[in-house]
Amino acid sequence: MDIVPQLIVNSLIAGSLYALVAMSFNLIFGATKFFNLSHGVLAAVGGYTAFFLGTTLGAPVSVAVAGAVIAAAAIGYGFEFFIFRPLRKRKASNLVLLVASLGAFTAVEAIIAILFTSQFRTLSSLTGTPGVVHLGTGVMTYVQVVILASAVAILILLWLVLTRTSFGKAVRAVSDDEEVAKIVGINTNKIIGIVFIVGSAIAGLAGVFAGMDTGIEPRMGFVLLLKGVIAAIVGGIGSVYGGFLGAFLLGFAENFGIWYISGEWKDAIAFAILIIFLLVRPQGILGKKKT
Amino acid sequence: MEYLIHLAILFSIFAILAVSLQLLVGYTGLLSVAHAAFYGIGAYVVALTLSNTGFGFFPALLMGILISAAAAFLIGLVLSKFRDDYYALGSLGFNVIVFSIFLNWQEVTRGPLGIPGIDRPQLFGFVFSENIAFLILALVFLLIIYGIGKFITESSFGRALQAIREDEQALSVFGYRTSWFKLAIFVVSAAMASVAGGLFASYITFIDPSSFTIVESIFMLSLIILGGLGTLRGAILGALVLILLPEALRFVGFTPDIAAQMRQVIYGLMLVLLMLYRPQGLVGKYKL
Repeated sequence: MDIVPQLIVNSLIAGSLYALVAMSFNLIFGATKFFNLSHGVLAAVGGYTAFFLGTTLGAPVSVAVAGAVIAAAAIGYGFEFFIFRPLRKRKASNLVLLVASLGAFTAVEAIIAILFTSQFRTLSSLTGTPGVVHLGTGVMTYVQVVILASAVAILILLWLVLTRTSFGKAVRAVSDDEEVAKIVGINTNKIIGIVFIVGSAIAGLAGVFAGMDTGIEPRMGFVLLLKGVIAAIVGGIGSVYGGFLGAFLLGFAENFGIWYISGEWKDAIAFAILIIFLLVRPQGILGKKKT
Repeated sequence: MEYLIHLAILFSIFAILAVSLQLLVGYTGLLSVAHAAFYGIGAYVVALTLSNTGFGFFPALLMGILISAAAAFLIGLVLSKFRDDYYALGSLGFNVIVFSIFLNWQEVTRGPLGIPGIDRPQLFGFVFSENIAFLILALVFLLIIYGIGKFITESSFGRALQAIREDEQALSVFGYRTSWFKLAIFVVSAAMASVAGGLFASYITFIDPSSFTIVESIFMLSLIILGGLGTLRGAILGALVLILLPEALRFVGFTPDIAAQMRQVIYGLMLVLLMLYRPQGLVGKYKL
């Protein structure tokens, strides 16, 4: 039973990383209604930008993190501007958008591998050897404390923006019905563009955090994306809060699942959960039933 | 010459994959991202049967087809309840699960170490050890698969599949059990993919899980999207272009590792550009 506190810590960290991806994925899904699989690669963009600025160029942590977030936001907006917006204009089906995002993902991931090789690297030059907090028999590094705090802070920020500002109102209007939002005079392209920038920045941050916690490799975006999408669906597709909830559920399920099955089956467990949810409750925990 | 034969063999294997995936994606409108899973099941069953039992290639291949079809039946039971993007997502999930079985069931698959020393096929004492002989075998299989594909698409069953693609609800109003049709074509397609897997395993004589990832499924998808959805010719054309095109990179002088990544960049970009400018592909009859 001594490992229970550590399992809880591990679940919280995994949950926080998934939550960042799932919340931002759902933010974008809410506004655009398609599975944007290119979202995951932005985490890799973030991780590698931080690596390039911090380790290769020797920039301080703050610059490296800021640069990573900006790079992810810029590339995410680039995807929206050059790929998704023209497709939306042509009323392309969701499958076309999904395939295009898959293509963007594949291409950018390979470009990262060409630039930085496929080797696993750490961001330890940014973090040093972080101190630890003891929680009973469990141990949590300072980096992990920051990750958990950031996930909660971003949830609160998104909630404030979505409920308390006119921009948030516009986002919710676009999420409800893009056509109607357009008719009442909302510049939907502009709103969706901003949503992409914000969502991509959060994904980039998730990549930096994942890199600081364990390390970076070009495939990291794919892993985070899969977990993020599963969390997003389990929590309720299109719901920012649902994404947060689903992420922690998934984090706990994965980490406590290894009581019964050994650790390398984590991915399989995650997908088994996804498929069960798709069958039993496709709208997720917080999702509204489709009418 | 030997190199051209090698490319022709690769083309045959991927053309089989493209034709079988075309039945599912192009004719039935089910965007499956799980094709590499069945390709892998075929490869692993053939490799394991050849290494651990006295059976030859052809019984092993039959076994691969049966096991792959059985797995597809179970997975298809679940998948057939979905459509459109949820179908794509669900199939992606199954590819990850099957991949992690290849990787983690080490007692059987040897995990990341892979299975070396797989035998070449034998028929009545003749060993297909020369690549030219293997090419003929692969082409024969491609012809058979193409023929079956043609038969299916021109049958009333095939017309029902296309009707599902156009309007599943309307077809079910006419009393068709559409989920049964979706399941049936999924099993057929998976069985065909396992043939390609068996050929691949015995041609390369070594397999490991890395050949059966999601990225490989996406590559197969890009073959048929480039060639054009809804035609078998499109599948063949897509396989031809996408197998030959990246080979040009080798002559530019990239290292093998970079060349593999470049290949991934090319077909990723190609998917984006096709979706933007020519969603029906080269000779396609149907757009996603």
